[in-house]
Amino acid sequence: MKSKIVRAVLLAWPLAAASLAPQLPASAQDKPYKVVDGYKVDAFTLTGFRTWRAAACDRCHGANQEGLVGPSLVNSLKTLTKEEFVKTVRDGRLDKGMVSFSANKTVMDNIDALYAYLKGRSDGAITRAKVELMPEARAGS
Amino acid sequence: MMVKRPRVPWRQFIAAAAMLVLPALAHANADVEKNIADSKNWAVQAGDMFNQRYSKLKQINTGNVGKMQVAWTFSTGVLRGHEGSPLVIGDMMYLHSPFPNKVFAMDLNTQKIKWKYEPKQDPAVIPQMCCDTVNRGLAYAEGKVFLQQADSMLVALDANTGKVIWSVKNGDPKLGAVNTNAPHVFKDKVVTGISGGEWGVRGFINAYDINTGKQVWKAYSVGPDAEMLIDPEKTMTWTDGKMAPVGKDSSLKTWQGDQWKIGGGTTWGWYSYDKANNLMYYGSGNPSTWNPAQRPGDNKWSMTIFARDVDTGMAKWVYQMTPYDEWDFDGINEMILADINVKGKPRKALVHFDRNGFGYTLDRVSGELLVAEKYDPKVNWATHVDMKSGRPVTVKKYSTAANGPDVNTKGVCPAALGSKDQQPASFDPTTKLFYVPTNHVCMDYEPFKVEYTAGQPYVGATLSMYPAPGSHGGMGNYITWDAGSGKIVQTKAEKFSVWSGALNTAGGLSCYGTLEGYLKCVDAKNIQKELFKFKTPSGIIGNVFTYEHKGKQYMGVFSGIGGWAGIGMAAGLEKDTDGLGAVGGYRELNQYTELGGSLTVFTLPN
Repeated sequence: MKSKIVRAVLLAWPLAAASLAPQLPASAQDKPYKVVDGYKVDAFTLTGFRTWRAAACDRCHGANQEGLVGPSLVNSLKTLTKEEFVKTVRDGRLDKGMVSFSANKTVMDNIDALYAYLKGRSDGAITRAKVELMPEARAGS
Repeated sequence: MMVKRPRVPWRQFIAAAAMLVLPALAHANADVEKNIADSKNWAVQAGDMFNQRYSKLKQINTGNVGKMQVAWTFSTGVLRGHEGSPLVIGDMMYLHSPFPNKVFAMDLNTQKIKWKYEPKQDPAVIPQMCCDTVNRGLAYAEGKVFLQQADSMLVALDANTGKVIWSVKNGDPKLGAVNTNAPHVFKDKVVTGISGGEWGVRGFINAYDINTGKQVWKAYSVGPDAEMLIDPEKTMTWTDGKMAPVGKDSSLKTWQGDQWKIGGGTTWGWYSYDKANNLMYYGSGNPSTWNPAQRPGDNKWSMTIFARDVDTGMAKWVYQMTPYDEWDFDGINEMILADINVKGKPRKALVHFDRNGFGYTLDRVSGELLVAEKYDPKVNWATHVDMKSGRPVTVKKYSTAANGPDVNTKGVCPAALGSKDQQPASFDPTTKLFYVPTNHVCMDYEPFKVEYTAGQPYVGATLSMYPAPGSHGGMGNYITWDAGSGKIVQTKAEKFSVWSGALNTAGGLSCYGTLEGYLKCVDAKNIQKELFKFKTPSGIIGNVFTYEHKGKQYMGVFSGIGGWAGIGMAAGLEKDTDGLGAVGGYRELNQYTELGGSLTVFTLPN
C-alpha cells in the first residue's frame, strides 16, 4: 500500500557510481540498485531478488517485505545502515527469531546485491517484490 | 543401521517396578486408558486415542450453554501462537506454552502453580521454526508428563515435582530438525515425530520407552525399505482397486538420485491408535523442496497415511494421497478412527481431512480406500480421486510442475495451508458426523530452483494466499461431513480460517475457536445455530477441551494468535497491486486481535 506513492519518482538513472556501491562507504551508496518502471532492474539487483527468494526470507518478512512474524524490511531499511544490515543477516538475531545466514554461501556471496534489492524496495523505487531484468541495452548503460 | 533393536525386557521390569505405579504385567497404557475412560479428565490431546475429540460430559448442553461464563483465566506469559490444549488428570491441569516450552502443573483445587518447568534451549532454534514457535501440547502417563521441546529434546517430567526423569535428543536442530508436535503415549511407548520439511529434513517417527527414554524403533517416511520399516512383501497399499504389497524399494524408485535424503515427509501431526489391531496411524508431510521440478517421481512415501505396528514400527499399510506434490499439501493432518457405516456397510474406518482438500475414508484394518471426496467445493487442483488407482486426477492449469519454475500458477484451491491444516476435527458418535474446522483459501504458487545448504531454509516457491474467489468472501468454514458417503452436510461460513481444534460433547454441542478470538458453541444437530460466543483475549488456534472438577463441567481453550494462520495476518498484501483483490484477507485480523497467550476456562453459573 505504502509503496504506491513513490512509484514513478525514481525513473532517472542512479549515478554510474551506483554499480560500485558495495565497495563504497554508506554515504555514497544511497541507491545501489537500478530500476525502471518500478520492476525492471539491473542484473546486480536481480541477483539480490534471487538471493532473497532462495533464502526464503519471505517466510518471515512477507512475500512483499511487508513483515509477518519478522519485521517489515520496507520499514527496517529506512533506518538500518548497510553495516547493520550485513551484521544482522550474518549473525542473525536469534532470540528474536532471525536466522544467522553466515553458513549460507548464496546469501553471504550476494549480500551486497540482497541489500541493493531490499533498499530499492524500502525506498519505494522498486514497486513490487518480483522484479525482472531490464532490457539488455539499458542494463548496459 | 538406523533402526535400533527392541529393549531387553528385564530392564523394563526393573524400571516398572521402580516406579511402583502399576501392578506387574499390566499394559503400560492401562493408566492412560483408565484416565481416558474417566470423562472428568482430559487425559490426552484429543480426549481419546481415536482422535475423536468427543466428551461424554453433558452438564453444559444446548439448553444452558448460552449462560456459560468465564470461570478463570491464566496467562502463559508467552506471545507466540498457542496450539493444542492443556491436559487434566484428576485435580491437576498440565499446561504448555510455545517456545520456550514452559510447562505448568496447576492444582485445580487451589489454582496454584504446583511446579513449573522451563527448559533452557538454544535460541538458534527459534528461527529454525520459522515462522512460528508453536507447540501442540503434552502427554501424560504413569505419573510422567512428556514434553516434546522445540529443540527436539523429548523430556519425561515427574508429574508430582516437574523434575526431569529422562530426556532424549530426537533430531538435529542444527539441520532444521525441530519439533512442534505433541508426543503420544501408546502402550509402553511415547511416540514422536519431526518437523523441518522446509529445511530438507528427512521425516521419521520415533518410539521411545516411556520409562527410560530408550529408542525402541525409528521409521523414516522415505528411503530404503529397512529404514522405513517397510516389508516389501507384507506392507500393503491400494493398487488397482485392491490391496497389494508395495514391493521392493517402493520409495527409492520414486525419487531421482539422492534427493530422498533431503526429501521431507515430516511427521508433525496428531497420531491415533487402535488397540484392537495394535496399529498407530499418522500422516507424512510434503516432499522437499516445494519446487517439483527438482524432484521428479511420486516421492513416496511423502504425503502418505501410515498404519504401523506400535511394538515393532513395521508398516502394515500405506496410502499416498498426493503423489508428486506440487502445492505443499502435507499429509500430516490427524487420522480419526471411528466405527461407521460406509456406503451402507459397517466399517472400522479411518477418516482423514487432508490439506489437499479431499476427505478420505479408509478401512483402518486393511487400508482399503473407501471414499475420497472434496470437503470444500472450491478445491480445483484435481477433478477427483480415481478410486481404482487411488490417485488424484490433476488439472493441468493448476499444475505448478506443468507450468514449471519461475511461472506463477494462479488460482490454485486450496492454498498451501490446505482446506484444513493441523487444527483437528471432531467426531460425534450420536450424530455420526465429523465437525471440521476448515480454511477457505486459494493461492498463487511460483516455484523456483533452490540449492540445498544444510541447516538453511530449503523452500523453493513463493506463495500468495487469499480468500477463495467467488464465494462468501471469508477465509474459513465450519462444516459437518458424512464420511460414509463423502458429503458435506452443513457449512457455516467464517470470516477467517477456523484454525482451532473442534470439540463435541454429549451435551449436544460442537465448539471451536476463531482467529478473531471467539470461542463458539453451536448445536451439533444444526451448526448454523450459534448458542454461545465469547471473545477471548487473542485469536484462537488452540483446541477446545472439557473436564469436570468438583461436580462442575468446565470448557477451556488457549488463545494466542500465531501459527501459519496468524502469520497469514499480513499475507495477501500483494493483492493491492495484482488486481485479484484481497477481500478481507488475514491482514484484517489486525482489526480484531493481538498476540498474547492465555487460557480461558468457562463454566455454568452456580
